[in-house]
Amino acid sequence: MTQFVIFIVFLGCGFIFGQMAEKKHYKSIIEREQQTNHLPVIASKFPPESGSYHQQLIAGSVVVASDYFKSFTAGLINIFGGHVTPYESLLDRGRREAILRMKHEAQQINADYVFNIKLETTRIATGRLGAIEVLAYGTALIPHQNASEQQDAQQNALQA
Amino acid sequence: MRYENRQSPEGINVTKVNPFAQFLKLLAMAAIFVVLLVIVLQFFGGALAKRIPFKYEVQLMDNLDISLSEVEPSAEIVLYLNELAARLASEIPLSEDKQVYVHYNDESVFNAFATIGGNLLFYRGLLEKMPSENALAMVMAHEIAHINHRDPISGLGGGVASMIALSMVTGDTGFAGSLLTQAGTVTVTQFTRGMETAADTAALGAVYRLYGHVNGASSLFEIMGDVQSDNKSVPDWLERFAATHPLSNDRVEAVANTAQRNGWSTEGELTPLPDAFLDWLNIN
Repeated sequence: MTQFVIFIVFLGCGFIFGQMAEKKHYKSIIEREQQTNHLPVIASKFPPESGSYHQQLIAGSVVVASDYFKSFTAGLINIFGGHVTPYESLLDRGRREAILRMKHEAQQINADYVFNIKLETTRIATGRLGAIEVLAYGTALIPHQNASEQQDAQQNALQA
Repeated sequence: MRYENRQSPEGINVTKVNPFAQFLKLLAMAAIFVVLLVIVLQFFGGALAKRIPFKYEVQLMDNLDISLSEVEPSAEIVLYLNELAARLASEIPLSEDKQVYVHYNDESVFNAFATIGGNLLFYRGLLEKMPSENALAMVMAHEIAHINHRDPISGLGGGVASMIALSMVTGDTGFAGSLLTQAGTVTVTQFTRGMETAADTAALGAVYRLYGHVNGASSLFEIMGDVQSDNKSVPDWLERFAATHPLSNDRVEAVANTAQRNGWSTEGELTPLPDAFLDWLNIN
């Protein structure tokens, strides 16, 4: 009986807090995506031929945990098969957040583009815990003029 | 060349579902699936196991070499229990291809059970509480009836089949798995309770034929009912649904009903336990 009550409490907490966290996260993701939309992130390996760019590897990563409710529902879906919808939003959030973090780095270094973007996902929790890490990385293209400014700034920072 | 990122429409990578409705639907489907699976396996597993000849059951138990008690077979308590068992076995009546042997265990456990190979085990904790031979005869006849119905091997067959299937279904499903295993276990108990009720009915008949009345037959259930209601943590309806045995109070009632239906007298002189009974129990 006690176990059952604990289970219901966990499930309820997972549902309520999980949904709240997800809603909040999506709101922030959509907002930041609009803010950073001017910086193109391109999957192509071939950078623009015109212009002269300094290249730099940049990355953004995020770890997102599943909640009790999501994990439980996913466990049930495992029996019957089908879309594991509870994890779809988890991974979607992970990917978008990782790209946003990568874009944030690109903005910091005044990049014009990020090329050859790649995504990697790793499950980092085992057993009954569910958490994923999503890593987004790519090549930032910084116009030479901006790149030299940036180098100057870095040198000034070192000297100071 | 111009490069741009168009905002993709929101939600294309996430299926729109109501998570709570999805959860309830899945849970109901899984519960039905597990219950059906266990019912089928209990039924066929149990029925197949009953077809194993009794002598193989005895051999199996011998090969397992499980020691049920450390008491010498010549101890007075063992002799007494086996003599009572023999009298009841002829009243049940136990079919000819089967035999029972009663073991005594000097532990304070309040229990007795029948297991494969016609072995019965009685614990000191239970025997100490016996108010009369009639009460002991009812418990003993109940366990012999289990042997006669092949319940231990049938329960083992059905139980093993169900548990293997359940662990295959729920193997990697985490939390959901442990909940569904519970559902399976509760389903199994629906079978065992049926066995218990059948054993009670058969036992009551044997007690009537041995003593000429059924007075005292349910006194142990009354004691058990009192013990259980003293430390009760779950409501009656839940226990009725989830327990392996019928509720003690229900059993008292069932005994009275069976006696009335068959016209068996509930009045009669109780046969006392032998004078030295309590001394026999204290082996060490």
